[in-house]
Amino acid sequence: MDFGNKTVIKDLSFDVYKGEVFGFLGSNGSGKTTAIRALLGLYQPTGGELLVGGKPFSVSSGIKLGYLPEERGLYKKESVIDVMLYFGQLKGLSRSDARKRAEEFLVRVKLSDKATTRIDKLSGGQQQKIQLGITIMNDPDLLILDEPTKGFDPVNRRLLMDIIEEHQRGGATVIFVTHQMEEVERLCDRIILLKDGVARAYGTIADVKSEFGDASLDDIFIKVYGDENEQTEEEQ
Amino acid sequence: MYNFGTVFRFEVVRTLKKKSFWIMSLSFPVIIGAIFGIIFFSNQATDKAAQDTKNQKFSLVVTDESGLINKQILQQLGASESTDKQANIDKVTAGSLDAYFYYPKAVGKEKVEVYAKDVGLFDNSRYEAVAKVILQQSVGPTINPQTTAILQDKVAFSATTYKDGKPFDGFKELIAPGIFLVLFYILISMFGSQMLTSTTEEKENRVTEMILTTIEAKTLIIGKIFSLITLAIMQIIIILVPIIIIYALFHNELLLPNLDLSNIPLNPMRIAIEAVIFMLSFLLFTGLLVAVGAVAPTAKEAGGFFGVVMMFIFGPLYAVSLFISAPDSPLVRFLSFFPLTAPIPLMLRNAVGNLTTADALIGMSILAVSAALALAIAVRLFRFGVLEYSRRISLGVLFKKRANK
Repeated sequence: MDFGNKTVIKDLSFDVYKGEVFGFLGSNGSGKTTAIRALLGLYQPTGGELLVGGKPFSVSSGIKLGYLPEERGLYKKESVIDVMLYFGQLKGLSRSDARKRAEEFLVRVKLSDKATTRIDKLSGGQQQKIQLGITIMNDPDLLILDEPTKGFDPVNRRLLMDIIEEHQRGGATVIFVTHQMEEVERLCDRIILLKDGVARAYGTIADVKSEFGDASLDDIFIKVYGDENEQTEEEQ
Repeated sequence: MYNFGTVFRFEVVRTLKKKSFWIMSLSFPVIIGAIFGIIFFSNQATDKAAQDTKNQKFSLVVTDESGLINKQILQQLGASESTDKQANIDKVTAGSLDAYFYYPKAVGKEKVEVYAKDVGLFDNSRYEAVAKVILQQSVGPTINPQTTAILQDKVAFSATTYKDGKPFDGFKELIAPGIFLVLFYILISMFGSQMLTSTTEEKENRVTEMILTTIEAKTLIIGKIFSLITLAIMQIIIILVPIIIIYALFHNELLLPNLDLSNIPLNPMRIAIEAVIFMLSFLLFTGLLVAVGAVAPTAKEAGGFFGVVMMFIFGPLYAVSLFISAPDSPLVRFLSFFPLTAPIPLMLRNAVGNLTTADALIGMSILAVSAALALAIAVRLFRFGVLEYSRRISLGVLFKKRANK
């Protein structure tokens, strides 16, 4: 995957199994978001194939997708309920079904009193919750969450984890992009560590730990990416 | 086109909820209403003032060197005659006389002089009006009424011109197809900036990725275009309906001319060609706007590019006389067939009846191909450009992405 003269992802190959939580790990700029965007067809890969259910992803491929991108945002001038209804309907729900699910979610995240509030009047964390609600509204078969806990306080982080677990138990496949190792330990079945667009480790958490001499994930992360910080300091 | 209805509904409903839409839509009829109101009350006030002036009594002395003034009229007004011009001016100056009119020997060459006591900025005009009425009423009975009508430019003319053996009124023929030209201008004026804002909105709100993994870019764009066309038509209706009602109810009071729509000739072929050119031009323009919105990171930055598009589309209006008088000139033909400038020359030439069938077919084909290309490129630009949140997408990136597909 090239951008101009820069190759962002090279020789990357991995599988995500149905029903698992797959951790997509890497430091900033390691190519995680680019890989996800390429997987979803938002970027055209320079070479190779990214398949979901055996075929390239497209919105008409029939896959129920829930995608929470790293780049957060919603229609700021619209009310919470209007935006949730819009996305719910775009995801194939009837208007009444979308309303029911939106209201249930707002009750769960304690934002039911904000249903008619404009998005830009909400705090950053509240907006993030709404975006999460939209992501899971259609009970997706494939849930891709790009750094979903970024900006969440511990209470909401716990809530998010619970929601992810519920969806996994419901049969959803979850791709979880993060660099929070405690989240990985709690949720992920298998992981991939990406560095400079190349997979540095790939497998179950136990496999990866064993590959690095049974070190903790934090230590592995520091071992793999620590030199980046040193390089940055040297460059500075 | 699955989800088209959802996008359409969302875009229409949320725009209708915006105060700015209603302020923009209603401000025009309100301004027009206010102008009509001012005209109405001004006319009423003028009539009343004229009536008052007619009935007003003021001391008046007249010097008539022209010999045209009817003495009976002066008597009816209670005016007296005098030959001493300066003495009367002095009386007016001293305030002992309200008004003094001096009719010179050669009224047609020299000025009628009016001297009067100040009665306020607006009421001062009554003296001149009375001096004029005295002169007109004095002379009127001595002239044949027909001569008066001719001199006052009140003679009505009826002209019939012929083309290909049939009566042809160039101006009236222009009206029906010309409506599309006016509609094109109004739609673009009202629709342009809304389209830009709408196209850049997903990017500015960082909602692009969620949208494009939920709905086809093409469906989103077409949904937006149709919703904006609907809103523009609603705005036109909101603007026109009050104007039509005011005209229908008050055109006599407002001294507006009577419109007889039954006399407007309807040439089905020319109207059909105009409608097709209008539609293709509108699609081309829409494609260009979407492309501009997709390339620029913000609506504000897109505004600069929008100006360039407007310059191309409406620039040919400066050569309007050339389109009518020299339709075969190289410049007119170039402007008619160059996609970005083609809409106005083609519509205008068709409206005035100098667009040949061959030129119409060539022009429409060029517009159709350009509009299809513009929309296809626009959707592609939107597809890839909207992820460029903070910078403009380069053509290199676009074509590279095309090549990689």
